[in-house]
Amino acid sequence: MTSLERFQRAFVRSLAGGSGAGRAPRTRSARQQAAGLAVYRANLRAGRHDALAAAYPVVRRLVGEAFFREMALRYAERWPSRSGDLHGFGEALPRFIERYRRARALPWLADVARLEWARHESLDAAEAPPWDPAALLRVPPKRRGALRLALHPSARLVESPHPIVAILEANAEGRDGTPRRHAGPDRVLVWRRGLEVRVRRLGRAPWTLARALAGGATLGEALAALGTGSARSFGPALARLGAEGVIAGPVPPADEA
Amino acid sequence: MPRALPAGAGIGLRAPHYREIERRRPDLAFLEVHSENFFGDGGPALAWLERLRSLYRLSLHGVGLSLGSADPLDERHLARLERLVRRFEPALVSEHLSWSSVGGWHANDLLPLPRTREAVAHVAARIGIVQERLGRRILIENVSSYLEVPASEMPEWEFLAAVARRSGCGILLDVNNVHVNAVNHGFDARAYLAAIEPAAVAEFHLAGHETGEVGLVDTHATPVAPEVWSLYEEAVARIGPRPTLVERDADIPALDVLLAEAARAGAILGGARCPARAAA
Repeated sequence: MTSLERFQRAFVRSLAGGSGAGRAPRTRSARQQAAGLAVYRANLRAGRHDALAAAYPVVRRLVGEAFFREMALRYAERWPSRSGDLHGFGEALPRFIERYRRARALPWLADVARLEWARHESLDAAEAPPWDPAALLRVPPKRRGALRLALHPSARLVESPHPIVAILEANAEGRDGTPRRHAGPDRVLVWRRGLEVRVRRLGRAPWTLARALAGGATLGEALAALGTGSARSFGPALARLGAEGVIAGPVPPADEA
Repeated sequence: MPRALPAGAGIGLRAPHYREIERRRPDLAFLEVHSENFFGDGGPALAWLERLRSLYRLSLHGVGLSLGSADPLDERHLARLERLVRRFEPALVSEHLSWSSVGGWHANDLLPLPRTREAVAHVAARIGIVQERLGRRILIENVSSYLEVPASEMPEWEFLAAVARRSGCGILLDVNNVHVNAVNHGFDARAYLAAIEPAAVAEFHLAGHETGEVGLVDTHATPVAPEVWSLYEEAVARIGPRPTLVERDADIPALDVLLAEAARAGAILGGARCPARAAA
């Protein structure tokens, strides 16, 4: 190990090693070193807290700042940053919340976090030209069932037994936090249209269709997933997802790719 | 290679000002952004950068490459930076003379390096890799620090100059960080300026600091301090006029507040008597 690496590992150990309380530094220079380390430690905490607060404004509002700050600290211990770019730092927060003892009384919190992370990811996902539903008419009917359509790269699907969309909407800026619905389940599509991220609850047919397409199913397989009793809602669901820019375009079959 | 940036003043581009800058098109030599804020694949941040890039010259300022780390360079990070540089053809690309990570653990902060010959060789080699990858010269910035790094073999200005000399990179001289470290570590800020090779300096940064238990803390949340303005005047007189950024990353004020600070920097640049040219 080089002396540079030894220095850096020791520095990180003292940075991550709590408040340093218990052993008061005796000399003036030791006190100064401890105070300097405290500045870096405060920067570290503030950076992580702010990254999480930017991605999870509703979770923060729901639990309050003191709870959120403490949770951010514990989360960072369990899931330290592994990148020089903090944009992906909060990815595991929903899973963390599921096991976080202090959040047990808030069973919907992890799913609200999931929805917020979906929104966060959707915002800077790749661009893709929207699929034109009319293009389907140019495909011979016999071949339509074998067609594979891709969801837009910004599309995310979140499912919860709780009314997470109502909770999200009620806690937007300027709202008083009172949800309009008190029961789920919510099957939610998050996607970006133009430069704006949209959040929408889906009914059974569009949800099943979107899930099937996200999983790489052909249109025929998606139709089968819907069940024969609901076949009539397939066309309208497809047209609606297509018209709203949720579908990006056909995925070429393996032999043409 | 893009043409050199004129020695005028620019501001850090932050989201609350996107719309207003596009509408008012204030007279600025350039806009600077944190590279990592545009590492996404699409969406509004990149769309705005595209629109504003068509109106202004651009400087990409990285905060996360961890040039001084003992870890291997992060290939993913470098690839995203490269993609951004190729797409936006910035006039300047810069990073910091610091480290942020070791053993894959990231502090996402600009941590101080031991000022040793070993560190000079290590950082210079990595800057070389980055410059080769990007196909251009980058600038490195001196950072503020809050504790004494043990086993240092040379003063900070020698360390900065040695890395620049050895790697062939340029220097982004942050005048606020010189002042902060002069106060925190008890050296003469003028001696620092005197030791820097003027031809290596390609940009100045100006920012605000706050007073803390350790001395001064570089927070980028306040206006540029009077002592820093006067040190900047000396830097411009000694080194020559260079593109100068007014940086504000927290408590972002109204655009006019930043424009007024940029205008003040511009006036100092315009009044410089010995316009030594930057080796761009």
